[in-house]
Amino acid sequence: MQINRDMNILVVDDFSTMRRIVKNLLKELGFSKFDEADDGATAWPMVQTGKYDFIVSDWNMPEMTGIDLLRNVRKDPNLKDTPFLLITAEAKRSQILEAAQAGVDGYIVKPFTAATLNEKIQKIFERVAERQKAN
Amino acid sequence: MGLSANINREAVEQLLQAIDSGDQARSSELLDELTQLREQELYQKLSQITDNLHQTLDDLGDDSLMMQTKYDLPDASERLQYVMDATLEASEKSLANAEQIQNLLDNLPDETLTQEQQEALKLAHDNATQIILAQSFQDLTGQVLKRVMLILGSLENSLIDLIQQSGHDYDAIPQRKKSNEDLEHGIGPNVTKSSKQDAVSSQDDVDDLLDSLGI
Repeated sequence: MQINRDMNILVVDDFSTMRRIVKNLLKELGFSKFDEADDGATAWPMVQTGKYDFIVSDWNMPEMTGIDLLRNVRKDPNLKDTPFLLITAEAKRSQILEAAQAGVDGYIVKPFTAATLNEKIQKIFERVAERQKAN
Repeated sequence: MGLSANINREAVEQLLQAIDSGDQARSSELLDELTQLREQELYQKLSQITDNLHQTLDDLGDDSLMMQTKYDLPDASERLQYVMDATLEASEKSLANAEQIQNLLDNLPDETLTQEQQEALKLAHDNATQIILAQSFQDLTGQVLKRVMLILGSLENSLIDLIQQSGHDYDAIPQRKKSNEDLEHGIGPNVTKSSKQDAVSSQDDVDDLLDSLGI
């Protein structure tokens, strides 16, 4: 299926190396429009502008965690359907369940491969397309 | 310390007299009296300190010294070991890949390439060399980490001694109570033996779990 490679993506992680790697991998997949944030707290006002078609976020960040960012997105009527992918070292079963309950679209545990990232993105946007067809 | 105020001046004068007159028996007696007083006061002070210490160490709250000694210090060492292992692994991967790039570049036949292409390949080769050189950080950081681990080990031993000396049984320190707050905020990679419990070990496990939830 055709994913819009022109979409605006927000990459959120408190480690700059990680943001760099994620962007690099997304570029390899054909995406080109990225913004970065180093915390859920800096990301949130950016997200509220409504600019982003896709959010890729870490969980463990000092001011606002990724899971709280996700919850804020899902609570906002204008933003609630924004595709949201967590890429994180948090790997406890209870945490994965919590993320699922909070409405995450995909969950990747670190360390991860380019193939996994590609696969999850495909899956997320397939479901987005299905949802849109249904509406 | 107010001890000097309690030293009996008269006794000291008598001691001097006894010494001057060569009365060894009397000198000994007076010296014993004076030092006994001092010892008693020191003993009282020491008792007090030990009691305070015992009380402080009695605390079995999550952040207490005993809990930190038994769980947090070994945990910290285990994490530093992980850092060493992980950075070593990453360095070796980087080296292997950079070396492979160099081999590939070296094996391209020069005759089929334009001047421009040859120059580009030389630059690429140099970049690969820079990647190789950059991995040398691993040696320095490894040494630093080893030193920190030594310091932590030493600190742990000192604290265990302290705990034992205060009359506590180190082995009887109970398990820590787990808190859910930490999981909410995030605890980082699960790299110690104990934190690997209840954690998934691969993306496949994550996928299975989410599949079972219909996601």
